[in-house]
Amino acid sequence: MPFDIGEGRLQRADGAARVTFARRGAATVLAELAQRVPCRVLFPVVDEGDPVQAVLLTTSGGLTGGDHVAVAAAVGAEACATVTTLAAEKLYRSTGADCRIHVDLSVAEGGWLEWLPQETIMFDGARLRRRVEARVAASGRLLAAEIMMFGRAASGETLNRGLLQDGWAVRRDDRLLWLDAIRLDGDLAAARRRPFGFGNAAGYGTVIYVGPDAEAAADRVRPHDVSVINGVMVVRVLDEDGARLRGAVGDVITRLRSGMRGLPARLPRVWAL
Amino acid sequence: MITMAPITMAPITTTMTMDESAREAGAADGAIADWLGPLLAWLSPSYPTGGFSYSHGLEWAVEAGWVHDVASVVDFVAAVVEAGGGWVDLVLFVAAWRAVLADDAAALDDIADRAAAFRGSAETAAESNHQGAAFATVTMAAWPRPALTALWRRRQDAPLAHPVAVAVACAGLVPLSVALPGFCHALAANLVSAGVRLVPLGQTDGQRALAALVPVIRRATAAALVTDLDDLGTSVPLVERASMRHETQYTRLFRS
Repeated sequence: MPFDIGEGRLQRADGAARVTFARRGAATVLAELAQRVPCRVLFPVVDEGDPVQAVLLTTSGGLTGGDHVAVAAAVGAEACATVTTLAAEKLYRSTGADCRIHVDLSVAEGGWLEWLPQETIMFDGARLRRRVEARVAASGRLLAAEIMMFGRAASGETLNRGLLQDGWAVRRDDRLLWLDAIRLDGDLAAARRRPFGFGNAAGYGTVIYVGPDAEAAADRVRPHDVSVINGVMVVRVLDEDGARLRGAVGDVITRLRSGMRGLPARLPRVWAL
Repeated sequence: MITMAPITMAPITTTMTMDESAREAGAADGAIADWLGPLLAWLSPSYPTGGFSYSHGLEWAVEAGWVHDVASVVDFVAAVVEAGGGWVDLVLFVAAWRAVLADDAAALDDIADRAAAFRGSAETAAESNHQGAAFATVTMAAWPRPALTALWRRRQDAPLAHPVAVAVACAGLVPLSVALPGFCHALAANLVSAGVRLVPLGQTDGQRALAALVPVIRRATAAALVTDLDDLGTSVPLVERASMRHETQYTRLFRS
C-alpha cells in the first residue's frame, strides 16, 4: 500500500483498522492492531471503571464516493472493551461512485464488546453503502449503536438526493439471527417524507444488544421503541432534532452498559469533545 | 401520496430470464386450471395459515390515530408493500422461486435464512414464521410439492418465512408473473381486511382500498423482479415503530 499523502482527491481512500482485545489475568489487553490510512486507532487512558477503549479516526476528515473503509473489532474469551470514534464521520457528495464502509464485530465466549461510533452525517449527494456484520458466541454480549444524520439541519443543509444502503447482519456463532437494511435511493427527501417513512426526522439511530439476556435488556430500555427479534434486542430512534436523537441513543447505551454489565452510566469521553 | 423514488415500470415479461420466459410459455400452453386452482386456494384468506390474526402493527397505528380512513389504510398498506416488510417478502419470494428452478438447495437455504432473519420486530417475525409453518404443514398434507417437502425436512426446526414457503410451493407450477402479484395481493388484502375491522370501514370501502392498491402492487412486483439482494432494504420506520409499540398495547385483538 503506497503512502497516501492526501493530494489529488481522485486517489480514493482504502482504509482499514483492525483491533483485537484479549483477556490476560484480570485485565483486557490489546492483542492485535493493524491500521492503514486514512484509518488510525488511538488508545486513550479511560476513567475509573470503564473498559479498555479504542478510538478510531479518519485522518482524511471525511469520506466520499469511491472510498472504502473496513473496520474489524474483536474481543476474545472473557475480554471486555469499547470501540468508538473520535468524531462524527462525514460523507461528502459523490460524483457517482458509492462509498463503502464495512464493519466486522466479533465476540468470543463470555466477552463484552461495545461498538459505539459517533454519528455519521450524510451530505447532499452522498452515496453510502454501509454494512455492520456481527458474530457473537453463545455467552458473548455485544452492544452496538449507529446514528445516521440526514445532513446538518442546524447549518441549513438538507439531504435531498444520493444513496443510503445501511445494513446489519447479526449471527450467533454461525446462525443468522437478524438482518436489516435501511435503503433510501434517488430523491431522498421525498423518500423520507412518504407516509410511515421518516417524517421530519433529522436522522435515525439503531441500537442493538445481542446476548442470552436480550429480553432483560429490552426491559431496561423501555419506553424507547424496542423489540427482540430472534434473540437480538433492537432499538430504533427517530427524532426531528439531531441533538435529541443523539441524546436518546446515548440514553439507551448508558442504560444497557450499566444495567446489563454494571459499567458506569456514561458515554465514552470522546462523545463530549 | 408521496411515493418512493424511481421504481422500475418495465413490463414484467422483459425482466425475466430466458428460463422464466420459457416456463411462462409452458404454463400458458398447459391447463391453467392445473395451477390456478392451487394458487387461489393457497392465497385465499380461508387457507388455514391464521392470516386473519395479524395486522403488521396496523392495530397500534389505528389506536394512535395514524390510520383512520380509506386513504390512510391505503397509505399504510402501500408503505408495507413498497418499502417495508412486504417489500422484503417480495424480493425474497423471487429469489426463492429462482433457487428452486435452478435446483440450488444451498442458495434456497441461504434465502430461507435471510427471510427468517430480515424482520423489523418480534411480532412481524412471528407473523411471517407462523404463517410459513402453517402454510407448509397444510400444503404438504393436501397439495404435496416435492421442493417444499424437501426444504421443510432439510431445515428441521429453523423458522420458515411465509414468502419462502409460498414461493417454493409455486415454483415449477405457477408462472412467477402470476404467483408474485398474487402473493402481494393476498398480503395487501389481509392488511386491508384488518383495517376494515379496526378502523372500522365498510366492506365496500375495504374493496375501494384494495382497488386503489392495484398500481402499488404492480409497481412493487415489477421492481422486486429486478432488485438484487444487496440492494434490499426498507424505509418505513414508522411501520416498524407501530409494530414495536403493538407489543405493549393494552387492548389487542391481533397478534401483530
